[in-house]
Amino acid sequence: MKINLRVSLKIPDAEAATVKNTLRRRMGYGAVLEDLRRERLWSIEVDDSVLDPESLARRLARELVNENKESYKATVDSIDFEEGYVPVKVGLRIEDGEAISAQKRLRNRLGFDMVRSVERSSIWKLSLRADDPERTAGEIAERLLINPHKDFYEIMR
Amino acid sequence: MKIAVIQFPGTNCEHETLVAARSSGLSGELFRWNRPAEELSAFDGYIIPGGFSYQDRLRAGAIASKEPVMDALREEAERGKPIIGICNGFQILTESGLLPGLGGINVALASNVMVSKGEIVRRGFYCAWTTLRTETPARRCSGSFILNKGDLVSMPLAHAEGNLVTADEDLMERLNEEDQIVFRYCDEGGRVEREFPVNVNGSLESIAGICNPEGNVLGLMPHPERSSFAWQLPPTDSAKSAGDMTAPGPGRRIFESMKRYIEVMR
Amino acid sequence: MRIIGLKDHEVDAALRSAGLGLSVSEARSIAESLGRDPTIPELFSYDTMWSEHCSYKSSRATLNEFLHTEGPNVVQGPEEDAGIVAIDDEWCVVIAHESHNHPSQILPNEGAATGIGGIVRDVNCMGAKVVATADPLRFGDPYGKDKNHVRWVAEGVVDGIWQYGNALGVPIIAGDVVFDDSFDSNCLVNVVAVGVVKRGEIIKSRAPAGAGEKGYDVIVVGKPTDSSGFGGVTFASEELREEDEEANRGAIQIPDPFLKNVLFKANEALFQLTRQEGIVIGFKDLGGGGFTCASSEMGASAGYGMDLDLDLLHKASEDLPPEVVACAETQERFMLICPPELTPRALKIYNEDWDLPNVYEGARASVVGKVTTDGRYVTRYRGEVTCNVSIQHLTGGIRYDREERPRVVELEEPEISAPEDLTEILLKILGSPNVSSREHIYRYYDTEVQGNTVIRPGEADAGLIAPVRDEKFGIALSVDSNPFYGRISPYWAGATAVAEAMRNVAAVGAYPATLTDCLNFGNPEKPEAFWEFRECVRGLADAAKALWLKGYEETPVPIVSGNVSFYNESPDGAVDPSPIIACVGLIDDVRDAVTMELKRAGDSVYLIGPRFDELGGSEYYRTVHGVTGKNVPIVRFELERNMIYAVIDSIAKKLVISAHDISNGGLGATAAEMALAGRSDLGLELDLDAAGSDLPADRLVFSESSGFLLECREGGEEELEELLKGYGLDIMKIGIVSSSPELVMTCKGRTVLLMDLSTAKKGWTAGLSEAMR
Repeated sequence: MKINLRVSLKIPDAEAATVKNTLRRRMGYGAVLEDLRRERLWSIEVDDSVLDPESLARRLARELVNENKESYKATVDSIDFEEGYVPVKVGLRIEDGEAISAQKRLRNRLGFDMVRSVERSSIWKLSLRADDPERTAGEIAERLLINPHKDFYEIMR
Repeated sequence: MKIAVIQFPGTNCEHETLVAARSSGLSGELFRWNRPAEELSAFDGYIIPGGFSYQDRLRAGAIASKEPVMDALREEAERGKPIIGICNGFQILTESGLLPGLGGINVALASNVMVSKGEIVRRGFYCAWTTLRTETPARRCSGSFILNKGDLVSMPLAHAEGNLVTADEDLMERLNEEDQIVFRYCDEGGRVEREFPVNVNGSLESIAGICNPEGNVLGLMPHPERSSFAWQLPPTDSAKSAGDMTAPGPGRRIFESMKRYIEVMR
Repeated sequence: MRIIGLKDHEVDAALRSAGLGLSVSEARSIAESLGRDPTIPELFSYDTMWSEHCSYKSSRATLNEFLHTEGPNVVQGPEEDAGIVAIDDEWCVVIAHESHNHPSQILPNEGAATGIGGIVRDVNCMGAKVVATADPLRFGDPYGKDKNHVRWVAEGVVDGIWQYGNALGVPIIAGDVVFDDSFDSNCLVNVVAVGVVKRGEIIKSRAPAGAGEKGYDVIVVGKPTDSSGFGGVTFASEELREEDEEANRGAIQIPDPFLKNVLFKANEALFQLTRQEGIVIGFKDLGGGGFTCASSEMGASAGYGMDLDLDLLHKASEDLPPEVVACAETQERFMLICPPELTPRALKIYNEDWDLPNVYEGARASVVGKVTTDGRYVTRYRGEVTCNVSIQHLTGGIRYDREERPRVVELEEPEISAPEDLTEILLKILGSPNVSSREHIYRYYDTEVQGNTVIRPGEADAGLIAPVRDEKFGIALSVDSNPFYGRISPYWAGATAVAEAMRNVAAVGAYPATLTDCLNFGNPEKPEAFWEFRECVRGLADAAKALWLKGYEETPVPIVSGNVSFYNESPDGAVDPSPIIACVGLIDDVRDAVTMELKRAGDSVYLIGPRFDELGGSEYYRTVHGVTGKNVPIVRFELERNMIYAVIDSIAKKLVISAHDISNGGLGATAAEMALAGRSDLGLELDLDAAGSDLPADRLVFSESSGFLLECREGGEEELEELLKGYGLDIMKIGIVSSSPELVMTCKGRTVLLMDLSTAKKGWTAGLSEAMR
């Protein structure tokens, strides 16, 4: 069973603003890219025997989400995205040291024995004025959002 | 011989880099990223210094590599002029495809992962003195022009993303064969080890610096400008208090190399 | 808002529901001074300016009573954002020291980063180049009842500091970290910034002469104003309660080192222009209290008024109420006051050359108003006058005489029989969170950026930089304060913090030139807390007076900057009294400075400073025996002064090639650290009988009485002994540097300690990373 925590910033996201500005001013997407937002995604594989995944999700969020500056949505197994943008997931294709550390911390120090693995990625939510938004989103991912030698991307629908 | 030290928003090593370049006999000035790019052609060489251009947003070097000034630099590189990227400068050069310069983007400088006995013992930013072993013969590359194969050079490093990785299985073989691996991390005696603390960030084959096939573009993670004067050395180095305030440190040889390269190539 | 004619409880209810921290009597005095009911924005302006943070209303009288802020080398005392002392005829060092405790407890990363961001602005706005920072940190017990939260705070704070400082490009060259359960719910994050400026190029944080008569422009530079940090200074002036956390979050500021980096470069371009043209400007950072604080203080300190239009200020959104625009603590902003003929060029530097609008969405420089001569502080918003008060009354603040009462604590000395062998005890102390190597933290810090660093963290008791190329002088920096001493005696904690910070810079060969104090205490409305505060200030002032500025008899080392942080208190109690002292030391030639690691086998090692039976608060009592004790180390002022001067002189004469002061963990830890720093290939053989004391071996080795261990240059013994005698110091030639990597101590012919350095190094380097994992 997989618990997904979608985490977004309550404070202004300077990284998203910079990426948006670069795509629009420097890479020719001024007329195409209407908006761009970012979320972080924690995907936590836990034992199937867990009885109350919603409450576990809340306990995990307490450790992985800083609610003073972030908010989150938790789902079990599937993720549903709202209409109006193309979600592009970007993650590491090489070993993710931060995810490994998070997993160790959850299991060893904080006692979450049911955690099997932890994955970490970013979701870039692109609002595009284009004939084929998914193709354009793929192009943006390849031209800017990833370095293919360490990252992968996936259009989430 | 006049060089330009490029300033992006967030660059923070430009002043000491210019001082170090001048100490080797080069003249130069700072060049703000939004100056007219055509003014770049008046210079004989270029240094992209360290720092956090655009705060390493997205990933280190990614945003700066899209600035128009990088297109102009690419043209100057094709003319054979030397370009040295230090730390964030190296990251910008890899993101713009200038390094290793095989067409497209060939490597990534990923987040540091310190591995010891197979375990991750630390991650993230790390600042320490390190020793580099020169892997190429003299004259192979602009920034190591006067360094011989096997020469050791000590200098500090300070970065969070210096772990060189590639998804291209043949790349390492090619870089080795073409003498594009210029520096490797080693211990004080010159021994290269796969693991932390000698391989300080987890880089493939302990790579600290690479050049393009032509040899005029060099990128390295450690900071030669912080090791260009003897007094900057660690206290365990007996050269630290020798000579006056202008006495050279080992890092100055990178800038002296650049100067010699410009002299020879002109 | 109606105040006149209402009953006290009605006024109180109105103030609270508006979110104001003002007391009823304060609100009444405002209404009385205005002769009418104040507007909401006016009340928020007063709330800000009369907060503890901005007005020092509880502390001012005590600070004025005890602290010496003047001296022959002082160029500017504590009246502005940072203090300034002379290095030589041309160069000056600028220093500022603040706390950012409350925000760091709630949002460790952003809180600590904002701390660094604020303190570097204070130094930069004096026209200085910021060349170093230091970060004294206090966290809770990493093995105690709140260990997970304590570690979360500690990790977040360290991340925030490196993420901000490294990106900005200012090296962190000093600091200290102490874990103590009194900080479980109240961490302390102090920040120190140091800059250099030429004496003739200092910029004042006030409207220049003539600004009112000639109608100088008031310009705000930087990030667009938003609501972040609204109520921040009031928040810093209250106790932390968990149920308020949600409300307190709004008080957190959001830092941006990237924008700051660009702003600093644009500022430098502006400063250069004004120097070239001989134009005098006023320049100040927008910190605590935001726009209101900066603009009113810049006008008031020059005797002028201000007329400001909040509509002209660039904002992140247009729906902010006037009191939020005026009092929010949005980060990365400055205020410039300049003659109108400079304005177009100043705006071009920020808005075009350094392209602020594209570097950060909505950032820019905007003209927001004029300096006036009428002494009124006027703000307008959407066509209405939102504030019209006497600028002197607004900035004059108020004073409180707080009650003090000695805190009564039952303390006693433990009965301990001296153990036969001290090796295991020293190993335990070396691995403890408070004594172990700080490497785990300082490797996150860029200690090398700017290329000026001569001595780095871990190499000596103080960091050292050569901040100006083509000049040989160096600036040494250290920080100190021991909360365990504060628990026993606030007075001696204050005195010891000063003495140790000075010893630290002396140990590299620099003379102490100035001090700053950041005073972290509980709620001053409680008489015991206020007594602790006064005792600490008295102690640190006595030490600064008695340890004279070198070269000037009977002249105190001046305290040119500082900060008071009260209300470091939660329902669990207050923090241990923490007068955190920073010391700036100066040395003529950085190549004469020395570090702590042993240099050469066969060299003689000298102990300075007799050992006393004063282990109260010591690492030995606490870590090994689990008790605090009573006999806290005291500062013997004349002895201390002679020790510090002797060490500086012996380093200058090149007689001493390694030096390390004795502090936490006593002589034992000091000796071990000298052997463990550097390559760890040389050992020490010490004969404790040379200390000339009849204390049992454990007390000799672990007493934290002040002193130094010095490695003497080969052949320099006679001259060193003469020098020490000249200062009236006992000659205690306590041992030699050995070529075998072990630490050996003998006492009365018996080996009491034999420690292998490679074993010791493992525990010593692991202690801190384990505590923070």
